[in-house]
Amino acid sequence: MPKRNGTGRRNFIQNRVDVIMFSQSRAIMKRELSYMWRDKGLRNILLIVPLLGLLLFVGVYSYQRVDNISTAIVDLDKSSASQQVITGLKNSQDLQVIAYPNNYDHLRELIKKGEVIVGVVIPENYGKDVALGHQTKVAVLIDGTNMIYATNATSAILTVTRTLGAEIGIKTLIAQGIQPNQALEAYQSIEFREEAWFNPTMNYAYFLVLAFALNMWQQCCTLTSCMNIIGENGVRSWLQIKASGMSTLKLFFCKSLVHIGIFMLMVLPVYFFAFGIFRFPLTSGWPLLLLFTFVFTISLHSLGTLMSSISGNAVNATRFGMVIALPSFVISGFTWPLETMPQWFQPLAWILPQTWFFQGINYLTFKNQGWEFMSRYIFVLGLMAVLFYSAAALYAHSVKTLFRKG
Amino acid sequence: MEPIIKVNKLSQKIGRKMLLKEISFEVLPGECFGVFGTRGTGKTSLLHILAGVDRFTSGQVEVLGSNIRKTEKFKHDLGLVTQERSLFPDLTVAENLDFIAALKKASKADVCEMIERYELNELLAEPVTVLDTMGVFQRLSLACAMLNSPKLLIADEIIKDIDLYSRNLILRELQQFQAEGGTCVYAFSNIAFCGYMSKVGWNYNSGMLY
Repeated sequence: MPKRNGTGRRNFIQNRVDVIMFSQSRAIMKRELSYMWRDKGLRNILLIVPLLGLLLFVGVYSYQRVDNISTAIVDLDKSSASQQVITGLKNSQDLQVIAYPNNYDHLRELIKKGEVIVGVVIPENYGKDVALGHQTKVAVLIDGTNMIYATNATSAILTVTRTLGAEIGIKTLIAQGIQPNQALEAYQSIEFREEAWFNPTMNYAYFLVLAFALNMWQQCCTLTSCMNIIGENGVRSWLQIKASGMSTLKLFFCKSLVHIGIFMLMVLPVYFFAFGIFRFPLTSGWPLLLLFTFVFTISLHSLGTLMSSISGNAVNATRFGMVIALPSFVISGFTWPLETMPQWFQPLAWILPQTWFFQGINYLTFKNQGWEFMSRYIFVLGLMAVLFYSAAALYAHSVKTLFRKG
Repeated sequence: MEPIIKVNKLSQKIGRKMLLKEISFEVLPGECFGVFGTRGTGKTSLLHILAGVDRFTSGQVEVLGSNIRKTEKFKHDLGLVTQERSLFPDLTVAENLDFIAALKKASKADVCEMIERYELNELLAEPVTVLDTMGVFQRLSLACAMLNSPKLLIADEIIKDIDLYSRNLILRELQQFQAEGGTCVYAFSNIAFCGYMSKVGWNYNSGMLY
């Protein structure tokens, strides 16, 4: 056996130490993986739920927009002018006239029962008033209990009434002796043309499906990461880890690596189905999306780890996780604008990584925001990760110190 | 001769209950120190403090020449068998040995040796949660504790309520460990085991009688 000189021996020892250190990290990661895999409930939640959510929401929003809104018309005039209104409403793509109740009370009953969403009441003498140029009122009643229906119905009715109003206005001008082309010009001098950018067809599926699926994914991730510390030091086997003298920093670093890797693996099929199969828009490209998601995953994991650190037991950790994970999507301002939330509340919303993620994902999918714009989001999420991990470590350390002092 | 364990005015208070009150003792190399006491007298607390898994309220504790409040180096030469089932419940017998070997930086050869010595061959693929007798579980716990060839073994009620075969095997291994110069601290609640100890401390009324 060749003799080793001083430097050679030091290198040999260093190599041996490296091998041992690596094997320790590998053992921790392997155990964490096997733990997550063997726990059938956890495995199914992590593997299936986000993808199942995506498929479910794709099914729910497969029609992509709200049209054929059931409409009832009460025609109290029964004139040719009122027939024109009815024809205009029937020709609307968004409305479907399904009933002609005889009076206001019957219409009210239909709306109350949910059989129609929109009711139009054409008053008596409507045709006569229009012909004489008198003011007349057509009542449009909308069931406001379902906001999505109500908003779409309002928009559809506005389109029809605007056209009808212009037609009647032009006819009135002609009746007053103005030339038809002049009357037409008078109504066409200003054109307000609506144009929806970034989601031109106002597709609900593009707007909501991916976000809902990602919401389920982040909830699973948050709840799993809430077990990061308490799942280890809250059980008896913690005695073995403590007695071995291994570094807790190394232990939780290795566990966190596994968690973050798993969370990323969970989201990849969701992205693949959303952008590859269902062809949802992805204007910014994959690299930036994946980088953004990766940083968010770390940030989310750090928040879960902080919750885990301050929890006295696993049940409380889950409760803390749920308190954060469940409302975070609503708070994020994705569906209800942040600006409409109370002033004092808005900073609280921005403390959560989910708010930055859901805001950012909208820019990435629809608006093709590049690195320059998104770097701010990535930086903030990264900063949150540093702060949350540090707070988790500090909390654990301060409790330890307090305990030591008795 | 430098003591392996040096405890000076150790106190442990949990909530309002004073479990240990200013106890002091020393354990010399090769000695077998028994901590005797009835249930709830603080034996487990004392052993967990010595193993560095629990913190303590006041006093000084030195184990293997280290102040245990300042360093965890002494744990490299320490083996711990707990009274409660503290192995990893999600792992099998073989995986527990492998994982604890990795934690203690022990080698594959150490694992194989422990499997032989503690007669665990037949049980390797079994999850530890289904090990039906406490004796088998304690054999595995001791095997795990011995993976790093410790200088100090701390064992809590290791042969309480276990089958005769496992008990004889464990006692044989413990005698072998001592014969090789190992130092032990055992907690027990059956007075009959006093004969196995070099000296016995009786946990009584938060203090300790020798």
